[in-house]
Amino acid sequence: MKLLAVVIAAACFLAAAMYWTGAWQIGTSHPGPHHLHAVVFAVIGVLSLVWFRFQSARS
Amino acid sequence: MTFLQAMLLAVLQGVSELFPISSLGHTVLLPALLGWKIDRGDPTFLAFVVALHFGTALALVAFYRQDWIRIVRGLFASVVRGRIGGDPDARLGWLLVIGTLPLALAGVFLEKPVRQFFGSPALVAGFLILNACVMFAGERLRRVERGPGSKPARPLALLPYASGAQIGFSQAFALLPGISRSGASIVAGLLFDLTHEDAARFSFLLATPAIAAASILEFPRLLVPEAHAVLVEALTGGLLAAVTAYASVAFLTRYFRSNDLRPFGWYCLIFGTVCLTLALMKVIV
Repeated sequence: MKLLAVVIAAACFLAAAMYWTGAWQIGTSHPGPHHLHAVVFAVIGVLSLVWFRFQSARS
Repeated sequence: MTFLQAMLLAVLQGVSELFPISSLGHTVLLPALLGWKIDRGDPTFLAFVVALHFGTALALVAFYRQDWIRIVRGLFASVVRGRIGGDPDARLGWLLVIGTLPLALAGVFLEKPVRQFFGSPALVAGFLILNACVMFAGERLRRVERGPGSKPARPLALLPYASGAQIGFSQAFALLPGISRSGASIVAGLLFDLTHEDAARFSFLLATPAIAAASILEFPRLLVPEAHAVLVEALTGGLLAAVTAYASVAFLTRYFRSNDLRPFGWYCLIFGTVCLTLALMKVIV
């Protein structure tokens, strides 16, 4: 589960960076940077790290 | 948009954002009924709407300030120690985090296409009638489950995380104009055995991060040069929305101690039917 948390966090931060720079347009209505999408993915990335923290403290 | 129209919209936002009657549906139907010509894509109107949301979020934070201080402390403490343990504030905080995620994702990916396709007054009126049916059905199921010999209501502190996520998911239906966010989440809370009071409290606490995040992320719209033209309307409207939202949440938390959703269901059914009839007769477009 710890590995899964890290993988999800990495994927979310990557998605956040791609949306922020406008390199990724999946699920968007217009071309260009999508800061709102980026912020949401960054928040999910942080939450995944919190999940990792909970897993680490348990083991 | 005149100053009077702006103030009426502010009061409408403050009241209907928290009452389970769909603020989005009312901001489509009421201007159509009154024959107001409002360009929803205009930067000045968008800036005004951001100010209204900001006011509503401030009212919610102010009303639940003691709860939020404890929740935020609990969240940080749980991250530091690496477990939630028996801390009820941390548990409620993580329930709110889990409950907010579905709406955040749905809002980011679905809001624009949904509003584009479902923005006509006839459809909005139809969704308002559906909103009424959801509330009636929720109350009916609730009464059947709460019959003699049924299990006792579950305190909010004991709500499972999966149920919190599902209540959060129910909020996503409110992207459809006419479906109420608070109505959907209160009904979902009732179906997970919460009392009306706890379901409403959880719904209002869930509303706070959603509305606050939306207004913070949209805040740059208030800084565009076009927004200066509506600065007075935006500030006055934001303040008015804050006052009415505070009064609404104070009223509703007291109301749900001993009452249910049915009066709001009747209101949505009647108002939705009237608007649908007028829309089908092409009186409102």
